[in-house]
Amino acid sequence: MSNNEVLKNEKLEKELSPHPLSFMSLQSLCIYLIIWGTLVGWLVNFSEWQGLFVSSWITILAWTFGLLIFGVIASLILVRWRIFFFYLGVFAGGLGLMYAFNWFDSANLFIPFYTVLTSILGFLIVEAYRRSHKYLISNQRIIFKGGIITKQERTLRYDKISDINAKQGVIGQIFGFGTIIPISQSGFGLGSDKTFAAGGVQLGEKKAKIMGLFGGGKEVQTPMARTYFELHGVYPYKEVKKLVEEMIQTSVITPYQQEQVAFQKEQVDIQKQMRDLLKMQNDSKVENEEVKDD
Amino acid sequence: MEGSPIDIVIFAALAPMLGVLLFWFIQLLFIESQKFLLQKIRAKHKPLIRFTNYLGILFQTICHALGYTVTKSGISEFYISVNYGRVAPKKLKKGVFEWISNAFLFIGPFFIPAFLILICIFFLVPNSFQIVVPENILNLKYTFGGQIIIFGTSLYNFTSKFFEFLVNIDLLHPGHLGFFIFMIFLGLGIRPTYIGEKKQDKIDMIYDLRNIWSLIRYKPVYLIILFSIAYIIFYISLYLNQNWYVMIFIVFGWVSVISITSLFISHLMIIIIKVTDEIPKYWKTIPYFILFFSYILSRLFFYYFPNVYSKTISLLVMIISTIFVLYILLIYKSDKFKTKREMKLLKKKTQGDADEQQ
Repeated sequence: MSNNEVLKNEKLEKELSPHPLSFMSLQSLCIYLIIWGTLVGWLVNFSEWQGLFVSSWITILAWTFGLLIFGVIASLILVRWRIFFFYLGVFAGGLGLMYAFNWFDSANLFIPFYTVLTSILGFLIVEAYRRSHKYLISNQRIIFKGGIITKQERTLRYDKISDINAKQGVIGQIFGFGTIIPISQSGFGLGSDKTFAAGGVQLGEKKAKIMGLFGGGKEVQTPMARTYFELHGVYPYKEVKKLVEEMIQTSVITPYQQEQVAFQKEQVDIQKQMRDLLKMQNDSKVENEEVKDD
Repeated sequence: MEGSPIDIVIFAALAPMLGVLLFWFIQLLFIESQKFLLQKIRAKHKPLIRFTNYLGILFQTICHALGYTVTKSGISEFYISVNYGRVAPKKLKKGVFEWISNAFLFIGPFFIPAFLILICIFFLVPNSFQIVVPENILNLKYTFGGQIIIFGTSLYNFTSKFFEFLVNIDLLHPGHLGFFIFMIFLGLGIRPTYIGEKKQDKIDMIYDLRNIWSLIRYKPVYLIILFSIAYIIFYISLYLNQNWYVMIFIVFGWVSVISITSLFISHLMIIIIKVTDEIPKYWKTIPYFILFFSYILSRLFFYYFPNVYSKTISLLVMIISTIFVLYILLIYKSDKFKTKREMKLLKKKTQGDADEQQ
């Protein structure tokens, strides 16, 4: 935190960044590329089935099949089509390079190397993305920063936090990191999971057809935010969670404290009324004495 | 058929049971030794310990859930974390069902993970599952001695094929490599090796045996039923002249052999970690690089100069070079193998250097 960013009476408590394994969802896409690239390399060059890959096109077909099928399955399971498009991009890039440099004849060698190199590149991009994240926890607010090209920033004061959501996956439990999503009163930090199912029926023979469509959807509100708007994969998870909760406790007025304030206000009002009454009484006394004197 | 009637009717059925019990006891000893080693490296490798805990708890929770499913109790809660696992039944069934689900909980983790490896071996090592009856005991096969010989021979046959596969394992073959990693994982979690932050509960071999003993002691009727079923199967096998009875126990024997082997491999892995902890700074990573590159280089060498034993020699090269490098590093980069005289000399030298500097 630079001096320009520090507010008056502000003290930095912790400066954090995500754990190296906290982006496993992205890293696993690259891990699959390494596995698939190595497997294809072994299959077409060293295995007992290498005789099947006499033509480069069979190798390309097998490679594409494994890449895109996995992309479709992963996209359907995680409801994220960008996974499929990522693998489609890898496929298109490989095909484009082979076309541009006329490497189709050496596809058996090019494809494994290209796939593994792409995954290494993927790992580097994920690492750069991880390193772009920075979370600053001060005694007044939390600052979230992130993004490689476009720099995103969010500042959240503790008194504006209505709720915190915390989660820890299996890898997080093993390595001691986790994600904390502070939800603001405006609802920042909340997203929704949407599911939709549709079906159709077709009745009748050749000419007379009856078409029917039916469908249904469901939306569930769930804590969800971009990695640069939440404390993503912070280590040590338990310590950070406790710190954030303590900060909220000290900054936010509790119901008991609210009751106390209301009670004190009531007391002050009563005292004011009594003072006014006493003043009125004194004034009337003075007036009476003046009248008597007259 | 030869053999005394008492031997055939009473003792023969006990032979494979005792065989399985013996192997299971060896397995328990290996588990204890693994837990001891894990406890030694706990301070420096907390994530690894949490991982092994998780694997152990995962297998135990699955076995517990399997017990409730088999007894049709249903599962109302299934919770699993690095420190704790919990399975709650929908209906809490008493009697024999409770006994069976408890048996799954206490005994399942010893056998079920290894059973998964057994399935893999079925695909990787063909013809390894054979029941061998030596010709010279054909007339005595339903006696105590005959049963134990069949059990031992079949186990030997499986073990020799399994070990033959292991010493010829091709770590550059994706299937073999996957199997090897799977074996290490199962070896690490073959039962809940809970290594806690503080040693509060003593969960060890005696604890397991005590649990199993209480299972037997408080419900002896069920154990008698189990024994009766075993004897009935034996008599049916005897009547039909089929070796079904011993076959059941041979499967348990195979599973035990697999467990012991995977525990042994995971032992080696933990020992390497423990020894490298003695080596300072970045030097400790060198043995791991040697482990990897020595194998790759050796395989590359045999790719250009083929040899029938290339895979076995490569494995040997990998093991020997890693041990050698570890030894060299321990001598030169740690105080591990320094004698008292050498330590005194080193002390004098460092004191002399300090005096010179002053």
